[in-house]
Formats: sequence, C-alpha cells, structure tokens
Amino acid sequence: MTPNAVEVHDVWKKFRLYHERNQSLKSAFMRGKTSRHEDFWALQGVSLEVEQGTTHGLIGRNGSGKSTLLKCLAKIYWPTQGEIHYNGTMASLLEVGSGFHLELSGRENIYLNGSILGMSKKAIDAKFDDIVDFSGIERFLDQPVKNYSSGMYVRLGFSIAINVEPDILVVDEVLSVGDAEFQEKSIQKFADFKKAGRTIIIVSHAMALMDELCDRITWIDSGKVVETGKSSPVIQNYLEAQRQK
Amino acid sequence: MRYLRELFASRELLWNLTQREIRGKYKRTALGQLWSLANPLAAILIYTFVFSFVFQLEAPVGDPSGVQNYALFLVCGLLPWLFFSRVLGQGVEIIVNNAGLIQKVYFPRVVLPLSLTSAIFFSWLFEMAVLVAALLIVQAFFVIPLLPVVLAFMFVLAVFASGIAMVASIINVYFRDMFHLTSVALQFWFYLTPILYPISLVEEQSERVGGLLGSPITVLDIYRLNPMETFIDIFRTLLYDNRLPDLATTLIALGWALVAAVAGLWMFSRKERELAELL
Repeated sequence: MTPNAVEVHDVWKKFRLYHERNQSLKSAFMRGKTSRHEDFWALQGVSLEVEQGTTHGLIGRNGSGKSTLLKCLAKIYWPTQGEIHYNGTMASLLEVGSGFHLELSGRENIYLNGSILGMSKKAIDAKFDDIVDFSGIERFLDQPVKNYSSGMYVRLGFSIAINVEPDILVVDEVLSVGDAEFQEKSIQKFADFKKAGRTIIIVSHAMALMDELCDRITWIDSGKVVETGKSSPVIQNYLEAQRQK
Repeated sequence: MRYLRELFASRELLWNLTQREIRGKYKRTALGQLWSLANPLAAILIYTFVFSFVFQLEAPVGDPSGVQNYALFLVCGLLPWLFFSRVLGQGVEIIVNNAGLIQKVYFPRVVLPLSLTSAIFFSWLFEMAVLVAALLIVQAFFVIPLLPVVLAFMFVLAVFASGIAMVASIINVYFRDMFHLTSVALQFWFYLTPILYPISLVEEQSERVGGLLGSPITVLDIYRLNPMETFIDIFRTLLYDNRLPDLATTLIALGWALVAAVAGLWMFSRKERELAELL
C-alpha cells in the first residue's frame, strides 16, 4: 500500500461572526468591551486521508466548508482543533497570480512569485523555460504584467504554480480560467504531475472535470464529511442529493 | 528558535520581496533611485534655513573632527531618524496592505516587515554614502576608519526599527487606528529627539528646572529614556565627532534593539496563524 501524502485528523475550525466588529480603539474604550460575536464552526471533525500519487477532489455546496478545509490544507487557516500531517512539500494555488507586482515585468514576476511559492532561485532558473513555454507569453516577457490581458495573467500565474513541483499541490477552482486550449494543456499537466507520483487536492464545482481528474472524492456538507470514495459514485450521490432539495 | 530557523529558510524570498519593493518603487520614473535623495534633501534645506539662518542656532564643534556646520550636524541625526520613521510609518501598514497575499499563499509572514526594512535600509545606505562624501569635503577624514562601526550601528538601528514596526503592524490588524496614531506619534517623537537641536540645550533647561517635584529626577533623565536619543547620539559621535561611542551608550542601544526584536518576533510567532482570518 502506498503511504498517505496528507492525513487530516479530526479537524475543527471555528470562526467568529461579529455582530459589532470593533476595529477602532475608540469603540473599544467607549463601550468597554472589544466586540460581540457568536461562534460558527465551519469544520466539525473532518478526517480524511489522501494517498500519495492520487488526485483527491473536494465537493460540496457553497458554504459547506470545503474552501475552509482547503485553506487549512494550504496552511492559510490553522485548525482550531485537530491536526493535518503532510508527507512532503506542499504548495497551494488558491488564486492565480497573487503576489504579482503589477509594475514589474513578467520575467521579474516569475522570480518573485516562484519564491513566494517556495522555490529557490536555482529551481526557478532550471524551470524558467518551461514556465515561459507553458504560459505562452514569451513575446511579452519584459512587459510589466499590468499590461497583460487577464488570460495572459492567469496563464503565467498558473504556469509558475504548476512548475513549483511540490509533492502535494492544493488547488482551488482555477481550471475554469483560461481558454479551452489552455484548459486542455492544464489537464495534461495535471496528468503528468500525477504520473510523477505527486499528489493533488482540488476543489471545483465542475463535476465532469472532477470526475475526469480525481481518483477519489470527499463530499462535504455543513462542515462534516458526508462521503469519501471513488469519484463517480460520490459525484452521483452528491448530484442526487442536490436534485432532491 | 523554530521561528528563526524558518526565517533563515526563507531568506531568498526576503531578498526577492526586497527587490520588488526597491524596483517597483521607482519604475517608470526618469530619475529612479535618485528620488530617494529628494526627501532628505528637501528636509535639510528647510531645516537649515529655519534653524541656522533664521533662528541662528549655533552648531556644536565636532570633537575631535573640528567640524562646525549646522547642515552636517543636522544630517548626521536626520538620516538615521528618517530611516526609522519610514520603517515605522510604512511598516505599520505592511500586514493590512498585503492582505491579498496573506489570504492566498502560505509563507512566513515575518518576511513582509523585514523586506520593507531592507528596502528602506538600501535607500538609507545610499543617503549615508552621500553624507560621508560631504564629510570628506569638510575634511572630517577620520570618519573613514569608523565606517565599519557606522555600518554595524546602522544594522542595530534596523533591528530596533523592524521590531517596533512588527509590533505596530500586528496591532494595526486589530485596531486600524494604529496607523493614524503612529503618524502623530512620529511627529512628537521627531521633535522630542535631539535632531534639529543639540542635546546641550535640553541640558541647560533641565538644570534650570532642577529635580522634578522635589525628586532627584530631572527633565533630562526623562528626555534620555527615548531610545532614538541614544541612536542619534551614537551616529553623531561617529560621523560628526569622529569618535567611538562610549560603552554604556553602545550597550543601551544594543539592549533596545534586542528588546524590540524579541517583542516583534514574539508577536509574530503568536499571531501569525490568525492573520488570514483577522484581515
């Protein structure tokens, strides 16, 4: 049996919903209290295991907690309770091109963004041509990225992230961006990624795509795992449940 | 300790973010990096006109350098102050301004304030080089052997400034007032530090007033609690007087830097994980 790339043990995540959010000193002093809030548990004891070299999907309605879970996996949120173990390096792609500096050129941004995502300069040097090839922006490499079309922007961002080559890649709804050709290329890239024994965890609402990409899927609702299993049956059950509502 | 190790691991990111800061700032300007000299230069002209020409404040004589020049006396204190005030003034907003990045990518958050400090440090280095050239023109040659010491204290002040800015930037996440408070505090702080005037003037006044409320504590004692007074004193001693600062002053400066750095790192290591939710 292959070892697990990611193990999520009984993760709970609490958010505070503020009725009155006091973000100024004045209101804190005047009322003598900092804020009024109630607790909201976005994740309630989620456990799951992702095998190495597989692609694992997370599905669920809006507000089901899947994005919170993804952010916990990407180390952006920290679980209130429970633990997440990683077996290898992790990189996340929650938004394409976050951390681009608009005034800097595409070339400069490749180095900047690559290092934000955890690549060393040497690694970026080695991958530079791949990144440029894949993004298809070589002609505009020395233009500031603020002059890029939104498609070019997205392609460059995606192409950097996918070339970080972490052991585990955490991806949010990013495949819906870009044109059909680029989507095709991206899916191919995911397949190569998997062939190299790397693990992908992905969130998307595009069920057909999820069915094609994922080996296993976890369905989340109201902060709890409803079902984990092979893609097609879980997707079917999920769609069934949606229809009945 | 774990925190320092993680910081060391992200030194390349620190370097890249510093470059982003420096390059992004003067992109598409004809004069580029030269603009970083514009602000200090304007301040020097204004203060020299007001204090030296209008108020006829006499500059002290550098001992042993023999230099007596108000503009130079001013600049030796003003440049370290401007560095400090830029680090704190811009640093207080660094977390809030990078909310987008913090909510989308994981990286040690502490590189944000540190890269800002490094970028500002770079401009300061540039300004200090011009100052040293000016000092050589007025024949304060003994500044040359002291340059490594100057550089070391620049580093100590950078540590102090980053520590304070880190604490302020975290407080600013909870209370956005911190930004406005900081800009007001920096004004008070500027005039309460002997930059425009020599500390001897405060000494005279303090002697005239004597012990406060019957205690042996004088105005000067309170005045000298200001850590920036210590740092300005050190830079003046080195650059204007061309002497090494005494041991006590050096230790006080190192102590302040250590306290600020520990406070800043402690604050970050405690709050870092919550930042994405709080923004």
